[in-house]
Amino acid sequence: MAYELKVDGMAEISEMLSKLEDAAPAVAAQALYEGAGIMSEEIRNAAAEIRTGPGPTRESARYATPAEKEAVLSVGAGIARFNKNGTEVDTSVGYRNSGYIDIDGRTKPIPLIVNSINSGTSFMHKQPFVRKAAKSGGAKAMSRMQSYIEDAFGKITK
Amino acid sequence: MCSQYEALVAALKALTQGEAPAAVITLPMAENEWDTRPQYESYGVVALDFEADALRGDNQKVDTAYEGSVDLFSHAKDGAGWVTLITETLEAYCDGCWSLNSHVFERGTGLFHWEWTFEVV
Repeated sequence: MAYELKVDGMAEISEMLSKLEDAAPAVAAQALYEGAGIMSEEIRNAAAEIRTGPGPTRESARYATPAEKEAVLSVGAGIARFNKNGTEVDTSVGYRNSGYIDIDGRTKPIPLIVNSINSGTSFMHKQPFVRKAAKSGGAKAMSRMQSYIEDAFGKITK
Repeated sequence: MCSQYEALVAALKALTQGEAPAAVITLPMAENEWDTRPQYESYGVVALDFEADALRGDNQKVDTAYEGSVDLFSHAKDGAGWVTLITETLEAYCDGCWSLNSHVFERGTGLFHWEWTFEVV
């Protein structure tokens, strides 16, 4: 005994899949941009909480100076150029190419200031604001990227 | 506090306070994190930085993940053997949960600075 199975509308499904395939790279890149934007905002919010001032005692390590905090806040965490590798697209968010700033007559690289605050030094307290923001913002960024992709594909397949 | 975290920090503090059998010499530790600045050839800092994640259930936290860090400051380019001891301790107590986050040279003080981060539950 045999059952006959039949599917109608293969042409429409094929056309829809073709549209998805064409749109996928642009949707993925835009979703990544949305997620990176959230990460950048999270890092900025965490940077606003950086403590400034001297250490608790004369001999102890200091916190960031107000000028260093201002430098970090003024440039914000940037979104790097997108890398496309086959079907993958990735980027990074941070201060890698954020330039230099003059503090007290000395030109200092902003990435070095950020690293000093984030990882601490022998003379400065550690305040891991980038690591903390990455942890708290990661889930939010993923959620935003997922909802963007679902919305975009929903519109295409309507 | 979770037992994995306590075991790891105890092991790292043992390294920095000369209680670990593997440590031939002791790695001085900065007291109260950075509140005192030890004038040693090499010294270490172990700190719990922040709560990384939490699993919730029944209106309460069932489990919590913490992110912490170990810092080594040394005038020796190779860390005077402490790099190996610290990474061995990290591997023994939380294999795969740690990474070397930063390795820089402080020109002003002449100190090399290693920073390892770890996440434990």
